[in-house]
Amino acid sequence: MISTTKMLTTGVLAAVLAAPAYPAPASDGGADTYAVRAARMLLADGREVEDAVLLVEGGKIRAAGRGVDVPAGVPVLEHDGVLTAGMIACHGYSGTRGETGDDTRSVLAEARIANALDLGHSDFANALAAGITTLVITPAPDNLAPGSTAVVKTAGGTILSSAAHLSLSFTDDALRANRYPTSYGGALAELDARLADPSGAFAEAVAGRLPVLFEVSSRDETQRAAEFATRHGLGGALHGARRAGEVLSAVQQSGLGVIVGPFDPGTPGRQLDSVVALGGARVPLAFGLDAPQEDGDALRLSAAMCVRDGLDPALAWQGLTSGGADIAGVGRRVGRLEAGLDADFVLWSGPPLDLTSSVVEVYVDGARVFGGVR
Amino acid sequence: MLTLASLVTLALGPVLAGPLPSATGSREAEAPAVLFVRAERVYVRPGEVIDNGAVLVRDGRIVAVGRDLVAPEGARKLSGKVVCAGFVDAWSSFGLDAGSADDQRTSPATRTVDALNEYVDPRLRLEVLGAGVTAARLNAGSSSREGGVGALVRNRPEPGADAVLLGDCCVAASVGLTREGRGRDVFDSLGEVDKLVGSIADGLNYLRDKNDYKVDLEEWRKAITEKEAELEKDFKKAKKDREKDEKEAEEKGKEYKPKKYKEDKKPSPPRYDEDKEVMARVANGELPLVVQVHRCAELRSLLEGTERFDRLRLVIAGGSEAMDVADELAERDIPVIVWPAPLGRPRPDEFEDADLGLAGRLEAAGVTVLLGTGGQAGASRDLPLLAALAVGHGLTRRQALAALTTDAAATLDVGDRIGSLETGKDADLLILDGEPLASSTRITHVISHGDLVVGQ
Amino acid sequence: MSTAMRSALAAGLVLACSAGLFAQEEQRDWKIFGEKVYTATGDVIENGTVAVAGGKIRGVTGGTRGGDGKNSLRAAAVTPGMVDLSVRVGAGTDSVEQSREVAPDMRTAESVDVFDVDWDVQARSGVTTALVCAPDFDVIGGLGVVVKTAGPSGVRARTVKADAVLRGAIGSQPSFRNHPAFGRPDDFFSRRPTTRMGVEWELRKAFYDAAAARGSDERAFPGSDELRSVLEGTRPLMLQTWTTQDIRTAIFFKEEMESEGLGHPRLILDAAAEAWKEPDLLARSGAAVVLPPYPLDGRTSDNSFMTLDSAKLVHDLGLPLALSAHGSGDPAARLDRQAGFAMRGGLSFEAALQAVTIAPARMVGVDDRVGSIEAGKDADLVLWSGTPFETSSRVIGVVIDGRLVLDPRPTE
Repeated sequence: MISTTKMLTTGVLAAVLAAPAYPAPASDGGADTYAVRAARMLLADGREVEDAVLLVEGGKIRAAGRGVDVPAGVPVLEHDGVLTAGMIACHGYSGTRGETGDDTRSVLAEARIANALDLGHSDFANALAAGITTLVITPAPDNLAPGSTAVVKTAGGTILSSAAHLSLSFTDDALRANRYPTSYGGALAELDARLADPSGAFAEAVAGRLPVLFEVSSRDETQRAAEFATRHGLGGALHGARRAGEVLSAVQQSGLGVIVGPFDPGTPGRQLDSVVALGGARVPLAFGLDAPQEDGDALRLSAAMCVRDGLDPALAWQGLTSGGADIAGVGRRVGRLEAGLDADFVLWSGPPLDLTSSVVEVYVDGARVFGGVR
Repeated sequence: MLTLASLVTLALGPVLAGPLPSATGSREAEAPAVLFVRAERVYVRPGEVIDNGAVLVRDGRIVAVGRDLVAPEGARKLSGKVVCAGFVDAWSSFGLDAGSADDQRTSPATRTVDALNEYVDPRLRLEVLGAGVTAARLNAGSSSREGGVGALVRNRPEPGADAVLLGDCCVAASVGLTREGRGRDVFDSLGEVDKLVGSIADGLNYLRDKNDYKVDLEEWRKAITEKEAELEKDFKKAKKDREKDEKEAEEKGKEYKPKKYKEDKKPSPPRYDEDKEVMARVANGELPLVVQVHRCAELRSLLEGTERFDRLRLVIAGGSEAMDVADELAERDIPVIVWPAPLGRPRPDEFEDADLGLAGRLEAAGVTVLLGTGGQAGASRDLPLLAALAVGHGLTRRQALAALTTDAAATLDVGDRIGSLETGKDADLLILDGEPLASSTRITHVISHGDLVVGQ
Repeated sequence: MSTAMRSALAAGLVLACSAGLFAQEEQRDWKIFGEKVYTATGDVIENGTVAVAGGKIRGVTGGTRGGDGKNSLRAAAVTPGMVDLSVRVGAGTDSVEQSREVAPDMRTAESVDVFDVDWDVQARSGVTTALVCAPDFDVIGGLGVVVKTAGPSGVRARTVKADAVLRGAIGSQPSFRNHPAFGRPDDFFSRRPTTRMGVEWELRKAFYDAAAARGSDERAFPGSDELRSVLEGTRPLMLQTWTTQDIRTAIFFKEEMESEGLGHPRLILDAAAEAWKEPDLLARSGAAVVLPPYPLDGRTSDNSFMTLDSAKLVHDLGLPLALSAHGSGDPAARLDRQAGFAMRGGLSFEAALQAVTIAPARMVGVDDRVGSIEAGKDADLVLWSGTPFETSSRVIGVVIDGRLVLDPRPTE
């Protein structure tokens, strides 16, 4: 994969030599102002705006939508396709090189996966090429409290949050035969004790300043985690619940969001039905990736499989962008085409939920980091 | 009481009720099922579209396609935006017993039709049909070195005899696949190619031996007849000569050895070998050989080794590094079945350079591209989504549709039965509310062998 | 597949699944007719109709005729739903905290899996109430929970009585993974107990420590309250005791607690296969006995040996008797078949019926809700094709809390 720097350099060179002069972005995103006029702009709530303009300044969105006034002298890029916010995958292990867990103790709440990241790893370039501009990196659910998640941009090496969630694992992977705790009861007792007299990350979670990422797998684990969240008044999201839609009342009562996927071709229809049920019940949804074991394109494929099974396309798109950003806790920085947010956007050849569309260009912090020369 | 089974039966009730009822009471109880399908765009084949046309189906066959058709009395009328032929998954394991699909110890004589599992989860079967996949190529041992004889199977909602379209549709083989995590040696893979080529050569020799035997047998018969005629004439003289020889031998105390005629020895046929029987059919081009191979070294070696078999019909499955030999593939008219699925890392070594753009690049190089789901369990349902992904990464829509219909049928020798909407072909068609392969398009009706299996 | 059909299928599935483990009905009013209604109170009502409303039994009337209405069910025989105190379903190794051998504070209610497919098998075979305890890898495994085998998907919704018993085990099972301190000291299994004596020592020590902690905050430890509840007799102690020596140990332990003035534990002996060997001791102890499934060739776990007439023997001693099937779905070993074996060993029909209904309910203190067909109790009923427990009879219908779990009506 071509490195980001190389792409930027190529972009600069080509821009200088090419006829339609696109001002080369400075490598830090600079104070450049430009506008992009797209045939269609897809907003976070699924609405499409035709002939819309995105105005970018200093790496941030100045304005977005129809009838945006482009000041004189500002270069305008034309795109005959769809413009959207960059996608966010709310679960994965990109850039960790397998260093996602520590076997020695079951509670390592102060650990931060952000400390284990190689931000230059090709995993990020792979995600970027698929239109993903933000990734939530998560510790593996092999410990009861494996640490905190991180949210990073897939280009430019920006860490949006080095402690986005406290990860708590309610799966049986966290229950080892030769390490305390060995049972769900023991795990719950330990967590109850930690939350009764909280310190550090637990205190942040109890105070509501740090959302919790509940790792689950089966339906009884999903229910247990949802009821635990309700009991302790914790907010956040569930991940890994293959059939969360079948324990809807517990999930709804907890107010937790649900991170679904990724789904490989051949995934049993029951799991897709579960996502449709969650969408129908208006449970906040986001999509996870499990990269690098899954390729970046698997994110859109998962969403397309859910939509084919009956999920409202608007909800699917929301899950891939604004909803995902909210669940990741970075909704005020990315995930929407709104003034003040970072200029992380993607130019597509067609509607992104249609798999026949492809990524044409990707911009992060206003700089083009993937895509053809103009 | 509400159960899944009852819900499925409820939803399918009118569909599974059997032959469609006739409209008027004067018909007999067993009136042939007639469907009249009208659409704004009738995709006879990719690139050939009839606007505002219709298709008439009777007794499981397409009997008419055109613009000015009239629905006969009693026909069930359906309409939609687009009508096209049902999709074929050229590399599937759907409906095949799982153990047989993964079997590593098959041989060319293994028959996939012996391993069909008709009792696949009915919900999954409906999902696959609902996605438009009406037929699939199944192969026992498709990932083993020498796979068996594959079958082209129609996806029917209920087990039945009409499911097998072509019981002998191809023979599978594979080269260089990572097996059981054992360390792989470059020489092992090239050795696999040699073995495969040798097996084809054996088949060819076997065929030649059989043909030689036929010729020899004929000659022998002729010679015998001649000799017998001769003997008839000189019977008495021959008898006298023989008696004289016998007496001579007796006098001399020697054993009498009767003169043996060359013609007495009947030529014997070559020893029957079931594997060679199959490979003979491969060698003379009767059955295509589908070889799963990915690395360019192995591809080159395979192409080189098979060049001398001028009647061999080779098909590549996988072909992750096929771009390296694209020119030769195009020249020799060797199609490639691409599996366009996003693969993560780590991945088996042979898929190292696989990416979603392969189908598009091969098409641009002039190679016939087919599409399949890589034999992954249950994945046939998602074939149209994978095809869309391939389109998104460079494959033209037209070739994607051809890959799913006409080209797959033609390569697998069922082009006279399915793959396009033409008179005389089996009625496997889809009615859609938009262009095929667009993710927003919904398939509203599926007709399989003339039966409406999905939709009302 | 059209969107409409797809959504219908999905919605139907969600409806089916969100209401329960498998397709579940809502609670309904029923009129259940049985040619014989065995109430498990000692009464058998001929041609009786059980009226069910709001998930409860409203009453039983004799001398009736079965109706044909939408809410009418009929069968040759009706019994209360069966109760299995040793069901061993829904709680696996993830339910037992093996980091310590004495874990009285662990609550099985927090780890039971109500989505386990085995629950459906239990429900359809007529077992409507079950006591779930952690597997016996610990000397004291924690607090067992009494649940219904079918119903809304959620532990709370199915719980009849939480923390009903304190579970322990005597014998070789709690010590089998432990090893002496040499060898591999890298996990907590290098600890005692490694022998039966050690297991008994841990058991007695736990209770002595709990008694000593009475009234003292310093000496309290996690689980001391639960242990004391046993000593005070407010919660029964259920001990797994397969062999004679284990039964003796359990009874001597109880007597030791009494003679030392520490308390009066109420004992339930689970899987007491060799109860037949110690009749006098058992009678003296007044312990309740839960018999394991009858092993067809005599030998069973821990090399214990069970006779066919064990049930009759225990019953004749005047002790509370329950039968159990250990979660078996095998038609030759299910709870109704265990009752049949007990009868073949000499137990009377009424005693066998009570041993799978009201007697186990009484042992764990849920007899106010389940165990017999009486007005006010939960509508848990089993419909049979003939005389219950006969080999030729089948369970054809099951109602739990007024929900029809197994439909006896022929399909249209």
